[in-house]
Amino acid sequence: MEPRKVEPFVWEVPVGAVPGMRVPGIVYASDALIRKAIDDRAIEQVANVATLPGIVGASYAMPDIHWGYGFPIGGVAATDPEGDGVISPGGVGFDIACGVRLIRTELEWEREVRPRIGPLVQALGRHIPRGVGTKGRMRLSRGEAEKVLLEGVRFPLSRGVGTERDAEFCEDRGVLDDALPGQVSDRAIQRGAPQLGSLGAGNHFLEVQVVEEIFHDRAANAMGLFVGQVCVMLHTGSRGMGHQVCTDHVKVMDRLMPDLGIEVPDRQLACVPLAHEAAQRYLGAMRAAANFARANRHVLTDGVREAFGDAFGRAPRELGVEVVYDVAHNLAKLEPYEVDGRRRVLCVHRKGATRAFGPGHPELPDAYRPIGQPVLIPGSMGTASYVLVGTETSAARAFASTCHGAGRAMSRTRAKKLKTGHQVREELEARGITLAAAHWGLLAEEAPYAYKDVSEVVDVCEGAGLSRKVARLRPVGVVKG
Amino acid sequence: MSAGYEILEHTADVGIRARGGSLAEALEAAARGLAELLGAAREGPGERRVLHLSAADPGALAVDLLNELLFLHETEGAGFGDVRVRRAGPADADVEVELVPLPGEQEGVGVKAATYHQLAVEERPDGSVELRVFLDV
Repeated sequence: MEPRKVEPFVWEVPVGAVPGMRVPGIVYASDALIRKAIDDRAIEQVANVATLPGIVGASYAMPDIHWGYGFPIGGVAATDPEGDGVISPGGVGFDIACGVRLIRTELEWEREVRPRIGPLVQALGRHIPRGVGTKGRMRLSRGEAEKVLLEGVRFPLSRGVGTERDAEFCEDRGVLDDALPGQVSDRAIQRGAPQLGSLGAGNHFLEVQVVEEIFHDRAANAMGLFVGQVCVMLHTGSRGMGHQVCTDHVKVMDRLMPDLGIEVPDRQLACVPLAHEAAQRYLGAMRAAANFARANRHVLTDGVREAFGDAFGRAPRELGVEVVYDVAHNLAKLEPYEVDGRRRVLCVHRKGATRAFGPGHPELPDAYRPIGQPVLIPGSMGTASYVLVGTETSAARAFASTCHGAGRAMSRTRAKKLKTGHQVREELEARGITLAAAHWGLLAEEAPYAYKDVSEVVDVCEGAGLSRKVARLRPVGVVKG
Repeated sequence: MSAGYEILEHTADVGIRARGGSLAEALEAAARGLAELLGAAREGPGERRVLHLSAADPGALAVDLLNELLFLHETEGAGFGDVRVRRAGPADADVEVELVPLPGEQEGVGVKAATYHQLAVEERPDGSVELRVFLDV
């Protein structure tokens, strides 16, 4: 399936590329990245998403697109509740509200942190639970877990964990309204309750990073970023809680579809109309799991503060350890857009894509309203990460969405065949990166060569008007699950 | 496919292709494949537990079985010895699983869920069955 280039960085998959497409596919990519997406068969998945009932505009894909399950990773689809539009849990994914949090410090790399990087990474390793099957920093009773599902970051705040400022700089201020904990199964609560404040495994990580270059002074100033500054980037999600919510609700929708007369090209695209009660149950459960994900990153932030306190022998507040922003890249949200000259509230699915509201958006914290929403883009392990902002054109380009990372280019199996975890560790350490991993054997799965070039991905985002570069950060310490 | 299954490559995730002389055998092979991926395949003896599964069709049954095993692995720290499908119809099954406690942290792949993505069940003229299930990792 060969998309057609319609303008620089924009490729169209025409209606008819697969049977039943209701809108075209639009892929934002360079010539090199589109080739990878074609080889990967992810373009086919863009076309499959275009068959969903009630889809509006186009089935979009971000430059870090790769083959996913049902939806491509990097896929964006907006559906209209008024026009038989559907919700598809596969368009959110199993790791509901998986996302990235950037934490800044007032510490300078060369002068203050470089001499202490070993003890700092060790301290982070002690304070950040990680790996498969690990328990979190807060173990919850059933009642407490239900509060987290309803209240998000407000629950740990009520227990003295974190600050009001942390909540202010989290998407939705750390709490999604209209969460329905009653739609979260006992099994999901059983899985998630012991895991609040844990990193997990796979591509989840914590990195100590240094701001290497600033591209947009005004935005960097608003975020308190400066060259040479040490930051921490966290990537994790809703853990077993979200995984089980998705599992439960996909099963329900998969069984409902034949009676509703809905056919999809891949069963993982299972969906029901937004007006259906099963959709409302899923949305309520998804929001609850999203609240858990925000609370998870909030509680981990406390661990980061304690680790810095241990490593530098000073109170974390003296070190200026503060949240820059926290944003999800696996979520569906009801958002208003101007479509065909009419304001419509659409259900925007972002699967491996980040919301990127432009300047002036009312949902942004006051400090960021003039510059646009911060977007946090982790690179592959050991390579650069980026801070971007949404632009004036983001909404018109792809329902205010941009990329979410480098995007995998190689399967985990193949990555492990090329090098061992120990070889990857040696290479990263030779480049001055200090590591703490739960299991070295799995490190090769996440090696830099298994991913696309994140710099190329963000350059396309900027070139296509999806978002704008603010800062580049390089890793100096990596803590992996 | 000497163990009755093979691990399939996928850009971000992994899959299992499992084969058996019947649906029951194919389900057992898929369970062994998952246990290997999780690093949770163990020799018994262990606690025997019977799972009663109900799903829309044989493919969904396979997804359900793997998701049940993931749940037990995550919530009880369980490894898996013998997995025996006592009865398998097209839409329900009784599966006896031998649960063997795993000490400490796990070194296998962290699997979030079994998915319906490209889910396939092929019944051959000789009665043998081949299943394909992808997992989100």
